[in-house]
Amino acid sequence: MKLKSILSTAVISAALSVGAVAQDFPDGTINFVVPYGPGGGFDTAARALAPYMEESLGPNTTIVIQNVAGAGGRRGGTQVARSAPDGYTVGIFNLPGFVLPEMLGESVEYDLTALSWIGRLENQDYVLLSRGSSDIKTLDDLLAQDDIVVTSHGFGSTGLAANQIMFSVLGLESVNPIYVGGYSGTTAAIVGAIRGDGDITVSVISTALSYVDSGDLTPLAVSGTERVWDTVPTFEEAGYPELTPINLQRSIAGPPGIPQDRLQILRDAFMAATSNPAFLKAAESMGMQINVLDGDAAGAEVNSSFGLFNRFRDSLGNPN
Amino acid sequence: MLESLNLAVNFFLADWMTIVYLMLGVLIGVLFGVIPGLGGTTAVALLLPLTFGMQPEQAITLMGGILGSSAIGGSVAAILLNAPGTAPNAATCFDGYPMTRQGKAGIAIGAAMAASSIGGLIGVAILIVVLPITKSIVLMFGPPAFFMLAVLGLTSLTVASGNLLRGLLAACIGLMIGFVGYDDLGGTQRYTFDSNFLWDGISLVPTLIGLFAIAEMIKLYVEGGAIAKDTDPTKIKLAGTSLGIKSVFSNMPTVFSGSIIGSIVGMVPGVGGTVASFLAYSFASQFTRKNNHFGSGDVRGVIAPEAANNAKDGGSLIPTLAFGIPGSAEMALFLGVLIMHGMTPGPMLLIEREWSIMVLIIALALATLMASLVVLASAKLLVIISFLNSAIIIPAVLAISLVGAYALNAHLGDVVVAVIFGFIGYMMIKFDFPRITLVIALVLGSMMERSFLQSITIFRGDWTGFFQDTTSLIIFCLVVLALAFPTVHKIRGMLAK
Repeated sequence: MKLKSILSTAVISAALSVGAVAQDFPDGTINFVVPYGPGGGFDTAARALAPYMEESLGPNTTIVIQNVAGAGGRRGGTQVARSAPDGYTVGIFNLPGFVLPEMLGESVEYDLTALSWIGRLENQDYVLLSRGSSDIKTLDDLLAQDDIVVTSHGFGSTGLAANQIMFSVLGLESVNPIYVGGYSGTTAAIVGAIRGDGDITVSVISTALSYVDSGDLTPLAVSGTERVWDTVPTFEEAGYPELTPINLQRSIAGPPGIPQDRLQILRDAFMAATSNPAFLKAAESMGMQINVLDGDAAGAEVNSSFGLFNRFRDSLGNPN
Repeated sequence: MLESLNLAVNFFLADWMTIVYLMLGVLIGVLFGVIPGLGGTTAVALLLPLTFGMQPEQAITLMGGILGSSAIGGSVAAILLNAPGTAPNAATCFDGYPMTRQGKAGIAIGAAMAASSIGGLIGVAILIVVLPITKSIVLMFGPPAFFMLAVLGLTSLTVASGNLLRGLLAACIGLMIGFVGYDDLGGTQRYTFDSNFLWDGISLVPTLIGLFAIAEMIKLYVEGGAIAKDTDPTKIKLAGTSLGIKSVFSNMPTVFSGSIIGSIVGMVPGVGGTVASFLAYSFASQFTRKNNHFGSGDVRGVIAPEAANNAKDGGSLIPTLAFGIPGSAEMALFLGVLIMHGMTPGPMLLIEREWSIMVLIIALALATLMASLVVLASAKLLVIISFLNSAIIIPAVLAISLVGAYALNAHLGDVVVAVIFGFIGYMMIKFDFPRITLVIALVLGSMMERSFLQSITIFRGDWTGFFQDTTSLIIFCLVVLALAFPTVHKIRGMLAK
């Protein structure tokens, strides 16, 4: 299968690159790999972006979204990393989701730092939440607890990792918090907290918004540098600046070694698409947190993500 | 609520394109539903880009057409080929396929269509009734309730399978297959042999394709002839669909019990239609006294699961819309469509966009009716399949099955899984092991393990917590009832003698 796909990509790229110079690129179909199933956050982000990038790339190009779900994103990530570096395969990557496996001591078949980064699309900050009906209304209330039950998506998820790092910095590891894991996703973990399976959960801000509005959840503190709710401090303001860089990024990249001229064309198209007012309007209505970085900066984020998680490596063990 | 209903009805009447979109959705849904492995998920994924230019409610209508119709298409394949087109149709095979073998495919299809339509409408009606209290319903089902529900599923499975020992054996094998893959509670890999493919476990759809469609074709190849036995092909004209429809109206209690079970199970996120239709089937087979010949071509064995798996669509919208927790792969995709059109699922959606939800409800109701009519209109043609010679039918079904298995994830591994389970399925037919038992155990196994571990963590090791959670306690009583009923029935029978 792998050989076959490599061969077929090679054949296609050979056919496409007959006498190829930069001006001929792109001409044909660009595969945009989403390493998760259709319908999720990464899928919707990619599908929202694709038509605008296609527009910027000119009339000879079609971008086709390809969902390559499996092995927690690894299958799709590996497929992108191993594809021919001709600019006709790109993918959307999860940071720190793709960093985590290595931190947890698992082997992966891609090198994130070597990928050809095209740009960062989204950056979502995290929020620490308590059940609306619980007594925990502020960060200080939480710090006073000696018995904490957390609902989370499960081992290996970015949400749990963010949660563990937060508790480590907040000094809550010492109370031995109980983690109820295994929910099918962040939303399911949120509903678990609302139901009373636990008192605390962690989520990216956009997912939590409507549950905070409805009063089902109380936000305690947010990562990042800006307040989201007027009365809720950032971790930095609360005295925990180490937690500021905890976030979830959605970035676009191709396999290592895309020729510089082609990469530049893709990067330019990405920047043009993400500054298109029509795209920004659509993205806003979908609740996306557009926060664009160019290719070089997006690549640099990979290193800082590795740095951050490496520092807290000891806190990331399996709680169960 | 009435105001939004009114708005929604006007939306359908205002623009004839809306009806065109709905019909498009229905036709594609039926077509993709008939082919094992393709199903509603693939159809939604294919049509998704098409909705970009539409206004949100039109996109909802198109998708509603698919969601409401794919399981109806799927029942046709289950009845004619013993190959459930979509996973929830698996229970329809029990009696649908024996009816085909007896040359009564037309009656089975007629019954399936009428039961589907009525079930779909009942499901939608229940959805409208419970819409205001969706939140409390979703919050009723925590890990303890999920665990008990899985126990109920496995219990009724054991009770329903005629041969207890073989049923238990098949269920154990199903549970063991369910262990394969990454365990995100323990953070370990089980039986994956470092293969990325096995990381996600053995998927349900290729397993179904193998166990049913491919196994059936191997059997047909060994036996020769056509699917329908002892039947004169000149009788094709007497398709008997109207007889089937009539049979539904004379078995209304079965329709109602099936629909209600379907709606309730549908509301539980993550359990899905396969369990709903199976529970409805086993309920009907247990509680039907008069002239009970379930498993060998009883029309009520088609009516109950078909009513249930269309009623569940209404119910399964509740967790999807109110909390953004999809109950199935196609619901997950549908969520994506909603988000792309700026409708973020969550507690506020039902309040802020009530009329859009009404549009979806109407689309679902109309879709079930339209899909049934489409199938009924083509029933006579479809039934011919069962009279075709094996030399024609086997290559066709095998090709479609393998393509279906591949299309699911574009992964060759799934095709291999389908083929392996084809042989396993044939052995199971040959040695008289119930295949559906294996499938249900595969579906429920991981849910049961996961929710058990979650519950024990929540209870901090105190197992009596299962009986302190109200929902879980109620389901536990149903488990006891399901176990006691056959015994009580037997004792009463002995006393009567």
